[in-house]
Amino acid sequence: MAVEVTPEEKPKEENSLPLLRKEELLLNLGPQHPSTHGVLKVIVTLEGEKVVKSEPVLGFLHRGVEKLAESVTYNQFIPHTDRLDYVCAMYNNFAYVRAVEKLLDITVPWRTEYLRTIVAEVQRIIGHLFWLGTQALDIGAMTVFFFTFRDREDLLDLFTELCGARLTTSWYRVGGVERDFTQKFVDDLSKFLVTFDEKIDEYDTLLINNRIWLARTKNIAVISGEDAVAFGLSGPTLRGSGVDYDLRKVSPYGAYDHVEWTVPLGTKGDTYDRYWIRMEEMKESAKIIKQCLAQLPSGPFKADIPQVVAPPKEQVFTDMDSMIYQFKLYTQGFKAPKGDIYCGTEAHKGELGFYIVSQGEGKPYRLKIRAPSFVHMGAFDFMAKGYMIADIITIFGTYDIVMGECDR
Amino acid sequence: MSTVGKSVPVAEGEELKMATLTIDGQEVVVEEGSSLFNAVKSIGVKLPAMCYHYSFSPFGSCGICLVEVEGKKNNVRACTAKSLDGMVVHTDTEEMTDARKKAVEKHLLTHPLDCPVCDADGQCELQDMTYDLGVYDIKKGKARKDIPEDNRSLVLGFNMERCIRCGLCINVCKEVQLVDALCFYKENKNTLVGAHGGGTLFCEFCGDCLTVCPVGAIVNKFSKYSYKPWQTKKTRTTCNYCSDGCQLTLETKDQTIVQVASDLSWETKFGLDVGPGDGHGGICVRGRFGYRYVESKKRLSHALMKVDGQLTEVPWYKALVLMAKQLNDIKKNYGGKAIAGLIGGRCTNEAVFLFQRLMRSILDSNNIDTSARYGHMNSVLAMQQALGVGRSTTSYEQIALSDVILLVGSNITETNPIAALRLKKAKTDFNAKIIVAERWKTKMMALATHPLQLACDSEAIFLQGLVKAIITTKCAYKPFVEKYLEAYKAIESAVSDLSEEDISEGCGLPWEKIVEAAESLAQSKRGTLIWGEGVVSQQGGYENVQRLIDLAFLSGLYEKEGAGLQPICEEANEQGAVDMGAVPEFLPGQISYQNEAERQRFASAWHSTLPTPEEHQSGLSLPEMIEAAHRGEIKALYIVGENPVGSLPASFKVKEAFEKIDLIICQDPFLTESGVLSDFVLPAATFAENEGSMTNMAGVVHRVSEAIEPKVEAKPDWKVFSDLSRALGHSLQFRSSEEIYQEINKIVPGYFRQKLPSVQYDSYLKKDFVAELPARYRALSAKKTGDYALRLEQGLYHSGKLSTHDEGLMAIDDKALLSIGEADAEVLAISSGGQLRLKTDLGDLDVAVEVKAELPSGVVSFPIHFNHPAVKDLLEVTTDKMSRVVYTRQGDVSLELDPAQALKVLPHETHGGEKKLDIEQN
Amino acid sequence: MKKFFHNVFFREILKGLKLTFSHYFVKDITLQYPHEKTSLPDTFRGALCLLRYDENETERCVGCDLCEAACPSGCISVVSAEKLESGDVVRYATDFDIDITKCVFCGFCVEACPVNALAMTKSYEYSTNNKRSLIFDKAKLYEIGDHRHVEAKGYLVAHDQEGEEETVSEYRYRFPYYQKQEPVPEPEKST
Repeated sequence: MAVEVTPEEKPKEENSLPLLRKEELLLNLGPQHPSTHGVLKVIVTLEGEKVVKSEPVLGFLHRGVEKLAESVTYNQFIPHTDRLDYVCAMYNNFAYVRAVEKLLDITVPWRTEYLRTIVAEVQRIIGHLFWLGTQALDIGAMTVFFFTFRDREDLLDLFTELCGARLTTSWYRVGGVERDFTQKFVDDLSKFLVTFDEKIDEYDTLLINNRIWLARTKNIAVISGEDAVAFGLSGPTLRGSGVDYDLRKVSPYGAYDHVEWTVPLGTKGDTYDRYWIRMEEMKESAKIIKQCLAQLPSGPFKADIPQVVAPPKEQVFTDMDSMIYQFKLYTQGFKAPKGDIYCGTEAHKGELGFYIVSQGEGKPYRLKIRAPSFVHMGAFDFMAKGYMIADIITIFGTYDIVMGECDR
Repeated sequence: MSTVGKSVPVAEGEELKMATLTIDGQEVVVEEGSSLFNAVKSIGVKLPAMCYHYSFSPFGSCGICLVEVEGKKNNVRACTAKSLDGMVVHTDTEEMTDARKKAVEKHLLTHPLDCPVCDADGQCELQDMTYDLGVYDIKKGKARKDIPEDNRSLVLGFNMERCIRCGLCINVCKEVQLVDALCFYKENKNTLVGAHGGGTLFCEFCGDCLTVCPVGAIVNKFSKYSYKPWQTKKTRTTCNYCSDGCQLTLETKDQTIVQVASDLSWETKFGLDVGPGDGHGGICVRGRFGYRYVESKKRLSHALMKVDGQLTEVPWYKALVLMAKQLNDIKKNYGGKAIAGLIGGRCTNEAVFLFQRLMRSILDSNNIDTSARYGHMNSVLAMQQALGVGRSTTSYEQIALSDVILLVGSNITETNPIAALRLKKAKTDFNAKIIVAERWKTKMMALATHPLQLACDSEAIFLQGLVKAIITTKCAYKPFVEKYLEAYKAIESAVSDLSEEDISEGCGLPWEKIVEAAESLAQSKRGTLIWGEGVVSQQGGYENVQRLIDLAFLSGLYEKEGAGLQPICEEANEQGAVDMGAVPEFLPGQISYQNEAERQRFASAWHSTLPTPEEHQSGLSLPEMIEAAHRGEIKALYIVGENPVGSLPASFKVKEAFEKIDLIICQDPFLTESGVLSDFVLPAATFAENEGSMTNMAGVVHRVSEAIEPKVEAKPDWKVFSDLSRALGHSLQFRSSEEIYQEINKIVPGYFRQKLPSVQYDSYLKKDFVAELPARYRALSAKKTGDYALRLEQGLYHSGKLSTHDEGLMAIDDKALLSIGEADAEVLAISSGGQLRLKTDLGDLDVAVEVKAELPSGVVSFPIHFNHPAVKDLLEVTTDKMSRVVYTRQGDVSLELDPAQALKVLPHETHGGEKKLDIEQN
Repeated sequence: MKKFFHNVFFREILKGLKLTFSHYFVKDITLQYPHEKTSLPDTFRGALCLLRYDENETERCVGCDLCEAACPSGCISVVSAEKLESGDVVRYATDFDIDITKCVFCGFCVEACPVNALAMTKSYEYSTNNKRSLIFDKAKLYEIGDHRHVEAKGYLVAHDQEGEEETVSEYRYRFPYYQKQEPVPEPEKST
């Protein structure tokens, strides 16, 4: 508690140095703090241990990605999206190519939609596992971290099998995906899904009734549904407050409207609810993947739009037209029609949106990324107010914030 | 030719028949029988087509510009179809798109998979067409034909595997350049493009075929494989060679120029904003292929100072401080009169302006001169005197739209190839009368409607003849006669003593031909008078320009709209150098230096005093500087981009003079002959590394932009002057070329907007004119001596000494050969490749010989660009008394056959009616 | 009551501890790098390399600069020239530099390459304390390519760039030299 300053303790002489006593304490948290999930600095004003005001200082990881997009072709920007939310590259890729496809007004084959949905949901599981591990670690439960990372590693191996990289995947392409599933990928994924429920049980064993976990998450960073909407929160952070808003349901894309699944909703809007939602979402994701694998249609995995999708390599060696498309696409990129487009995608953190302004050239005129992490940081002060200094870390975590995406 | 120029009225009495068409629902009225493609273009529809170009007539080979015409069964090729009244045309139906796709597919089937190794990849119309139309899933193409790439030509390679036979290259050569060097020929059942008869191509190498080629079939051998279009940075700038002021696009990759592009290319084929008088946007061989001197290894990289007779590298600051100290000492001990400055005609306006300001306001010297003193000053001073404006009174557009063009004393196709295209355009597009009066059978003369081959040195007589012919036939421009009857009477009486026979004999032309030429010019509606180095760089140049001005008075060229005078100068910014006041006669803006009030205005603007001129001489000109140096009166000489030792004849005399000068500073991109004799040699930046502006011979100011950074320690001229002024203790404080530009704008208002005083000849005609006339029209006789007249001539592939540093242009032409006419060669019993001994009072010299059909007898010619062998040193300098112009290019020599040394001559091929020689030196 | 006991005896904590301890008896899933290494799939995007044709060991690369254009990070620089090779005119890359410090390992260059001259390998251990050695030049890239030929081929096959058979061999970008003239070797291009 703040020390009450009584009049007696005030310096007697007006001219002498005043005794520096203040009610509030200013604390710089970060930017080099292991639990800031990147480089985030928060200037916290404390009253004792109680947070009065917290001001996130962003931009330490700013790399000018949006500006960079103006100098590269639409396709060349895909590897740059890998580095937004660097733990969940696949979903960034997905959100980006969806926006570009909407701009170009093209559709992709059904198989592609299924492939994309499966990989996106695998990515969602990876994201939530990553979140769970780090959130528990931040709070003090170290074992969970090992367990979730063990399972995340299995999935990342699947990604390596699929596209050759664990994190910087760049697997999605405008008009399709880079590479079709192999049988090995499908088998391994199915195998993983069989044991995944047991694994969720393991995490539950460690956390769901753990009193420290409950004490640190229950009734922490409570936000009401209205406030959450007002702050533009999205994803589990929004649904934890009981707002039923999931883009996969609201404006279905991929194969989401072809499978059975539910949107878990919280009631209180506290950190625990958001934890619970993420656990449930993992189970739902597993369900979606299972159904998608079962329904997986056959067919091409790239759209047959030569002006957008690079031709298969073997044709480049033999056909003049394919050779020309290959060169045109890699040097100038496809020409997007004039106009602007916003396309939001439900990433595991929330709504990841791309706003693209096109002047009819091979490169975007302006590209704006609506990063959920960034929008969530807007509500940080509101949600941290009145809680203890130790909760600050939990509140970072509850957004599932990644500074790469936040600062861009 | 295309119908773009249709807005210019055709000959009188002929009426245009118009046709009304409906294209995509829009009604269009066009000339009946004109190309349907142009009609479609006029409503803004760009039909895809690969063989179309606005600058020449449709060819119809690509078959892509298909349209649907109601009532016709088959699709119609719009470019070759004629617009007829009542036609209903559809351009964007589904069937048309499919038909066009099919047409593109046809080209793709035979096209090799060369994109990876093709320089056009990324700037290829076939690629664009395929992509834009969405042609895909085509049949399997044919295998390669394995036509080898024809790399025999010096500059261009022909890869016929990639050719789509659109014929653009052939057409541009034939119809725009009027050169006709290319054609289709058959070899092993393949249709190929190349020189006539499949020989090795040797042409003007303007490279227009290269830029119009929509695919990569014509290859630039200078930049082959060194870049891909998407990698280059493009900088638009102005060419630095001749005075045409062509706009170039320098394409650079990593601080290296890889290619020079022009406005002409297949990408500008629609020519949407091209007016009837506009050029086709091409550039000549020098502009396109002469860019490699910028990268030359011979470029100066560091400042040099003479230490113990050796030029050694010094840091800039040291050179500047030492130079400044010596200059200040000289100024203190001997006064500003002992300092002289020379600046070349290739420096930017900004550099010239700063130079003259440095000389006048800081070094207190009005001894400034520029390379316009080699000839162009004749035009400037004569026009300034008569008209009050020392520059062209017409524009390129007006030249192209002229109905009569009189070209005197200029081998314009060689010296100013792009200006020459205006004449060609005037002839082919608008049926203009082209009267060419030259000593040689030049290329322009071959194209002229009225070729007038003059006898040697008879330009003056010919011009007198023209004036007399106008007087005798009484066809002078009526308003002029009425308004200036006194002046007209004066001319009448002045020419009355001239005899027609003498004139006719003197210039070797029948009198009727002179009358015909004079009449056409006098009766022209939009006549243009063009003269070049044959007038201004030959003795009596000043008077000749005055005679031309008289001729213009009599023909009313100042009154008629669209008519005018066009003097041709040699170097890129000669006109600008004079305008910026780098001559003792003028302050910036061609204001007389004798004008006290104006001098005060400049002095106060520059916070300084300007040297007071003597009554008849404002300052020393180039020849006077050399004389003064001989007398020991010049103590310091600052040479910028100029090379008196290399340019002036009898260079040993110049060298003697130089030895008496205490301080010589030479600023140039290369170490010149003058540089070797200098105490300080400063590395200057070339045009590609410079910012600023240049004024072309028509008085149009163009921008020069920096494409690459100056090499090593080279600095732009203006920067050196700025730095030197600081070292001299009077900082001029210009941080950029832009700031100098601003100052010029303030002090010479309207210069960059071409809003300058217009032609005023009232006062001249009423005052001095009458008094001068008798001298101008005294009877002249063509001198006849036993000697041969030697002329130093400019060639197509070179411009000044600068281009001899360019390996590209040197690869095309490095032959320092003495040209001799066929008749003389027969008399001397010599053939091409033989050696002749040139003899004058100054010495003798052995020179290899080339026999040329174009030359008349009694004349031999040598390219002015080459100083080895030093033919120019056999000549004497003469100076024009009126304009102080130095005549450096003429003299009389005697020839002797020296059979001892002969060159091996390769059997040469004959093609295109021209003889080309490949001489290999042993 | 039950809840009270649970609270007193830390039941949920004990359960968690039990689970944790039970993992003492589970087989290790970690690897002792660098003594042990994971097996990588063929798709793995490691260091880039340049390839030669199988049959005559000639360089595949024709220096078309398409990789340079495709590269999102601008780490490739190619300088090409022309040479005579057994009577044919060949375009080849005189310099081929990949700045590995900039490379993002996206594999776009491999996808772009019209002759499949580029491929990625499973090599990922090239950390060094000399940053300059991370600019892989042409010699180094061919060295990696020769050394890890099988991996590179595997990569191309796995990423649908090339069939098991060498399909690229049909078209070799070797042009016959013009025979009417004495073959004069091109002067060296200044780079």
